[in-house]
Amino acid sequence: MSAAPLLEVRGLTKRYLGLTALDSLSYSVEPGAVVGIIGPNGSGKSTNVDCISGFQGADAGHWFLDGVELTGLPAHRIAQTGLVRSFQNVQAYDEMTLLENLCVARQEIDGIGWWATLARSARLREGEAAAEARGRELLALVGLAEFAQAPAAILSYGQRKLLAIAACLMARPKLIILDEPVAGVNPTMIRHIAQVIRKLNAEGIALIIIEHNVDFVMSLCRRVIVIEAGRKIADASPAVVRADPRVLAAYLGRAGAAEAQGAHG
Amino acid sequence: MTAAGVTVAGVTVAGALRFLLPAGACAVLLLLPRLTANEYLFALGVSFATFSVLAGGLNLVYGYTGLLSFAQVGFFGIGAYAAALLVTEQQWPFLAAVAAAGAIATVAGLVIGYSSLRLSRHAFAIVTLSFALLCMIVARDWVSLTRGAMGIPGLPAPVLNLPAGLSWRIASPADFHWLMTIFAIAANALIYLVMTSRLGRAMRAIRQNEALARSQGINPLAYRLLALGLSALLAGLAGGLFVFYLTIVDPSVFDFYYTETMLIMVIIGGAGSFWGVLVSTAVLTVVPDLLRFSTDLRMVLYGVILIIVMLVFPGGIGGWLRKRGVARWRSVRVAKS
Repeated sequence: MSAAPLLEVRGLTKRYLGLTALDSLSYSVEPGAVVGIIGPNGSGKSTNVDCISGFQGADAGHWFLDGVELTGLPAHRIAQTGLVRSFQNVQAYDEMTLLENLCVARQEIDGIGWWATLARSARLREGEAAAEARGRELLALVGLAEFAQAPAAILSYGQRKLLAIAACLMARPKLIILDEPVAGVNPTMIRHIAQVIRKLNAEGIALIIIEHNVDFVMSLCRRVIVIEAGRKIADASPAVVRADPRVLAAYLGRAGAAEAQGAHG
Repeated sequence: MTAAGVTVAGVTVAGALRFLLPAGACAVLLLLPRLTANEYLFALGVSFATFSVLAGGLNLVYGYTGLLSFAQVGFFGIGAYAAALLVTEQQWPFLAAVAAAGAIATVAGLVIGYSSLRLSRHAFAIVTLSFALLCMIVARDWVSLTRGAMGIPGLPAPVLNLPAGLSWRIASPADFHWLMTIFAIAANALIYLVMTSRLGRAMRAIRQNEALARSQGINPLAYRLLALGLSALLAGLAGGLFVFYLTIVDPSVFDFYYTETMLIMVIIGGAGSFWGVLVSTAVLTVVPDLLRFSTDLRMVLYGVILIIVMLVFPGGIGGWLRKRGVARWRSVRVAKS
């Protein structure tokens, strides 16, 4: 691991009154990696996403994307620097068409200002045409091409998750954080989403996947970080993490962990 | 294929109507003084033009960025007072006074927005309501500047100096009809341009899902200030022009009547729908006047209409059309699966 990390998080801490949700969390993500972050309910996985994407203020810590410090920047600035995220409760602009949903996700990063927009300059028309082409390409990738002109309100839950992933991609991000991409989704759709994620990674996009579905994470990621009570308790390959007694204890309780190890041994 | 999908020489009927209807309406409004000498119609024309700008600006702020604003009437009144005072006390030329009125209203809008939008949408609504009330109190009680409840009467007929040494003295109702109609067409064109550009798309994104918009690099504060600043500018200009038609400005220019009228026009037309709001503005300008309602009775009528609309068309005309579109796609999806 000699390459400079794409994302580097150092000592991230977040407290809610008496509760310490994140306790000096540090990790890094290499370029092109798919890293899973798992942990029991309330372990701080989502707080971690909210902090590094600027949706919640951190109490301490620093984080960098590609060497650029993001600490304390507002959410929209962090998105513009290339770190984009999806949300646990899937979100879309219901009254917009799918294509509009995607085009809007790109307009703040193509550098075309308000005046050029109002003047309907040639640059704007080119930029919008490119966004539309990319949008159609991504809709085809996630299998929603036939609904390009339909309002997002008609989509099913799983389809919305796919739309959210496509929207993340519109900004040509350096790193995508998917917060529970398959929670509440049927098995066929889970396989479909896994396929899409593999395709993205093959294109060189780094991803962090926050999930409860451990099998899903283990099948996609070569590296898994486990968080418990705001601390990192493991950071290794899926096989190593699966056998780690601390991870088993966190998920199953100490007695359960001993039992599981007994069964293995 | 529906009737609207019929194509003639590469132009769809719907596309042609979309251009011809507004162009025809503009032409009729502009030619009205050539077609009739009925001053009552000119008065309606001035009223429609003024409200179309006020309601259009409110639609941008409320329908596009999701901010319920009661401040429009404040910007309108500030524009009216600024233009009146600059012309009478400072002897400014007409156009310069109107431009200054727009600029002052814009600054007021940006200051209110910047200070209150850091809180919440609800805080914004309360701040704008307080602002409108404050404007009226200042106009009434700062007697040395505004002459209090007496107002500033006897504004001179404005004179526009045109190129080539021509000048246009705007004095008759027909002149004011022209002035306000030309201004309203330009102002609404600007509103339309913003709404249909990707600036409007970002604003709609912010209204529908602010967190998602932020995660995509959209700065809600910047877009909301843009909408608010633009609506304040246009309302200020409208006030600055309209005041010369009234020939007097007094604290009643900040009356809640204007706020309620604008709001009901936007709600019935469908917040977020440019054409819906324009149509409802036209209908609500003409109908109550035709029925000869007094202002007080009109407020009662508005209340009744508002209740009916809330019950039957919660999204207004525009929202009803949008819903039909969603239903059509749902049936397509069901048919395919």
